[in-house]
Amino acid sequence: MATRAVDVVAATTIPKPKSMAAQTALVRIWTTGTAIICGALVLLMLLFLFAFAWPAIKYNGWTMLTSIYWNIGDQYATGTTVHNGVAAQPGANFGSLVFIYGTLMTSILAMLGAVPLSLLVAFALVYRIPARIRPGVNALVELMAGVPSVVYGLWGVVVLVPFIGQQLAPFVTSHLSGVPFVGGAAGSGNGLFASAVILALMVTPIMVATMRDVMLAQSKALYEASVALGSTSWQAVTRVVVPSVRNGVFASVLLAFGRALGETMAVLMVCGAAANEFPSNIFQTVNTIAAIIVSQLESASTDASGIAQRSLAELALILFVITLTINIIARLIMRGTDRLGKSNA
Amino acid sequence: MTTMLQEPPDVAVSAKLIIRNLNIFYGAFHAMKNASLDVPANNVTAFIGPSGCGKSTFIRALNRMHDLTPGARVEGEVLLDGEDIYAPSIDPVTIRHRIGMVFQRPNPFPKTIFENVVYGPRIHGIGGRAQLAEICERSLKRAALWDEVKDRLDRSALELSGGQQQRLCIARCLAVDPEVILMDEPASALDPIATSKIEDLINDLKKEYSVVIVTHSMQQAARISDLTAFFLMGELVEVGTTSQVFTKPEDKRTEDYITGRYG
Amino acid sequence: MTVQQRNSIISRVWWVISFAALAILVAVLLAIFWFVAVRGFPALKFSLFFTVTSGLAGGLANAIAGTVLLTVIGLALVIFFGIGAGVWIVEVASPRGRQLLRFTVDVLAGVPSIVVGYFLYVALVEGLGWGFSLIAGSVALAIIMLPYVVRAADLALSTVPTELREGAIALGARPTVVLFSIAFPWALPGITTGLLVATGIALGETAPLIYTAGWSSFMPSLAPTHSPVGYLTYVVWTFISQPSDAAHALAYAAAALLMVLIFATNLVARGLVESWAARTLKRS
Repeated sequence: MATRAVDVVAATTIPKPKSMAAQTALVRIWTTGTAIICGALVLLMLLFLFAFAWPAIKYNGWTMLTSIYWNIGDQYATGTTVHNGVAAQPGANFGSLVFIYGTLMTSILAMLGAVPLSLLVAFALVYRIPARIRPGVNALVELMAGVPSVVYGLWGVVVLVPFIGQQLAPFVTSHLSGVPFVGGAAGSGNGLFASAVILALMVTPIMVATMRDVMLAQSKALYEASVALGSTSWQAVTRVVVPSVRNGVFASVLLAFGRALGETMAVLMVCGAAANEFPSNIFQTVNTIAAIIVSQLESASTDASGIAQRSLAELALILFVITLTINIIARLIMRGTDRLGKSNA
Repeated sequence: MTTMLQEPPDVAVSAKLIIRNLNIFYGAFHAMKNASLDVPANNVTAFIGPSGCGKSTFIRALNRMHDLTPGARVEGEVLLDGEDIYAPSIDPVTIRHRIGMVFQRPNPFPKTIFENVVYGPRIHGIGGRAQLAEICERSLKRAALWDEVKDRLDRSALELSGGQQQRLCIARCLAVDPEVILMDEPASALDPIATSKIEDLINDLKKEYSVVIVTHSMQQAARISDLTAFFLMGELVEVGTTSQVFTKPEDKRTEDYITGRYG
Repeated sequence: MTVQQRNSIISRVWWVISFAALAILVAVLLAIFWFVAVRGFPALKFSLFFTVTSGLAGGLANAIAGTVLLTVIGLALVIFFGIGAGVWIVEVASPRGRQLLRFTVDVLAGVPSIVVGYFLYVALVEGLGWGFSLIAGSVALAIIMLPYVVRAADLALSTVPTELREGAIALGARPTVVLFSIAFPWALPGITTGLLVATGIALGETAPLIYTAGWSSFMPSLAPTHSPVGYLTYVVWTFISQPSDAAHALAYAAAALLMVLIFATNLVARGLVESWAARTLKRS
C-alpha cells in the first residue's frame, strides 16, 4: 500500500518524460512523413506513369510524336500485331501529333489575346483605379478565377460557339478569305478559335492577379521618380515599372501558359473533338491531349491488348513533361526575382 | 520711384515660385493650412519642422506629386514664373519637367548608370547617342559624380553606394534641365561624409537653380540655406532669412523649436 | 506639337485602352454570371434536392451528396497531409529542405488535373483494383487541394511572432506544446482561409474525378471502394450535350448551384482574411 502511494506522488509531481517524448515523436513522424509524401508526389506520378506507359512507348516509338492517326485497332480481329516485342490489336496506331498541335495552338492563340489584356488590366488596376473601388474590382477578378471550368464550358457551348458559328466565322471567313489560317470554311463554331477564347478568359484573371501582385511588390518609389522627371504616367509604367518587374511578369505568363495547356473540361466542351486531321483554319475543330484523355476513356478500356490504355498514359506523360518543364522554369525565375528583391532591399 | 523705395523689395520680381493660400487635404484631413511663401531664384530655401508637420506634404505640392496620391486634394495657387501650375490648362508633365525632385531615399531605376541619367531626356524625345552621352557627362559632372563613375557607365546603378545613388538621382534630375530642384530630405538616409558631399553640391547648384530642401536637421538648414521656413502641425509658422529665423525668430513656436523644446 | 504634348496624348490613349480592357473583362464576367443566374435559378427547383438523376432528367440529390462527400473526405485527407507538410516546412526542416519542399509543392500546383486523375486511375482504380470509388475521387481532390493548403499553413505558421514563441519556450514549453498552444491558434485563420480557397477549387473540379469517382445516378453508397459516385460538375458537362430540355435544365441548375457554393466559400474566405488583417492591425 505504501509503495503505491509513493508511486502516485511521483507520477503527479515529476513531469512524464515518456509521454512527452512520445508526443514529440508522434508530431515529428506526422510532419516528416507527410512532408516526404508531398515532396515525392510529383516524382512518384512521373515514374509511375512512365512505368505504366513503357510498353506503349516501346510499341509506338516515334509514331506517337509524328503520326496524326489515333486508332485502337480492330477489336474483333483474331491474332495481334507485334511491334518491338509488344502486342496490340491489328491496325492499332497511336499518333498524337494532332493533339499536341491542338494543345499548343489553342494555348498559344489564347496567350496572344490574354497576355496584352492581362497587362493592360493589371496596369489600370495598380496605377489608375481609385483606391475606393479597387477592392471591389480585385474581388471580381478573384471570383472570375474561381469559376469552374465546366461553367466556362457551358457558357462556351450555349453562347460562344453559336455566336462564332453563326455570325463571327461566316463574316470573317467571307471578308478575309485570302488570309491563311483565317479564310476558308466557317465551320460550326466549335474548334480552335472557341477553345482559344475560352482559355484566354480562364487564364486572364490568374495572370492579372499575379501581375498585379508583382507590380504592387515593386516599390512605388520608381514610379514616382519617373513621374517627377516629367515622364507621363504611361511612360513611367512601361519604361520603368515593367522592365524592373519583367521577370515576375514573364513567370506569371509561363504559369498561365502551363495552366492553359493542361486545361481539360472547358476545351473538351468547345473544341469539336477533331481526330486524325489538322484544322484548315482557326474556325475548324481541334483536339487537345487533355481532352482526348477524357474522351478516350471508354474506348481505350475496351482494347483487349491494353495498349490503348497505356498509350493514353503516354499522352498524359507527354502533357505532364511539357507542363512540368514550363512550371519549373517559371518557378526558378520567380525564385530568382525573390532573391534579387531581397538583395536590393 | 519713391513708393518703390518705401516698400520692401518686390519679391514678385525675383521670386521663382510664389505660393498663395495653399491648402492640402488627405480625404477629410487638413494637412496644410493656408500657407503662403515666395521661393526666390538662385537661393536655397529650407523647410524645417518636427516630423509630421507638413513640410514634405508642402514640397510635394510644388511639382504636383499629390496628383499621384489617391484622395489628396490641393487648393490655392502655386505660380511658377507667374503661371499657376494647378491651372486646368496646365499639363503636370511639363511642370515636372521644369521643377525636378529628389527623394528621401535614393531611388535609382534598376538600369545602367547611363540609362538612369538619360532617362528624362529620352522620354522628352532626345534620341541621338552622342547628344545623350554629352548630357550624361555634363549632368554627372554637375552632380560631382563623374570622376567616380565615368569608367562604369554601363554598370547597374544599384551597384553604387547610397551616397553615390543619391548624387546619381540628382544628376538624373539635372539632365532634364529643370529650373527649380525640390529635395525631400535628400541626405536623411546617408552617412555624414556622403551628407557633406550632398551639401557641397547643393551650395554649388544654387548658382544656376532655385533649390528647395526639406530637412529634419536644423544644423543642415543653417549650413546650406539662405531662407528658412518653419512648419508646425500643418501650418507655415514663419519664414525669413536663415540667420533671422535662427537668431531672432518672430514666433514663439519657432523659438521653442530652435531652442530644442519640440521633439 | 511638342514632344510633351504628344507623350501626354499617347499616355491618355493607352490609359483609355487599359480601362477598356478592364471593362471587357468585367463585362464578360458579368455576362457569365448573368447567363448562369438567368438559366440556372429558374431551373433550380426544390424537388431537385430530393430526387436522384434518372436517364436525362430527375434531380441532383445524388450529385450534391457525392460532391459534398468527395470534398469532405478530400478535405480530411488534405488537412492531415497538407498541414503536416506545412508544419514540417516551418518547424522542422533545414533551410535546404524547406526550399525544396516549397518548390516541389509549387510545381505540384502546376500539374494538370487530368494528369492527376489519370495517374490515380492507373494506380488506384486499376492497379489496386479499387474501381471507380469514393476514396479514389477523394484522393484526387486532396492532391488538387494539397499545394494550396501546404502553402497556406506554411505562410500562416511563418507569421507567428518570435516573441510569442520565445515567451512560451521561456516558460518551459516544449516544441510540441508551443506548436499546439501558440502556433496553431495564431495560424488558424490563415490555415482556414487556405482550406476554404482549396475547397472552392475542389468543388469546381471535374477532370480528376472522371477517372477516379466515375459517375453514378444513385445516392453514394458510402462504400469506400467499388462504388462510383456522382458529382455536380459531371451533370453540367454531360447533360448540356443531351438533346432534351429537361437535361439542359438540370445542367443549368447544377451550374448555378456550383457557382453559389463556390462564391459562398470564397466570400467566407475573404471575410476571414479581412477580419484576420483587422486583428493583426489591432495588435501591432
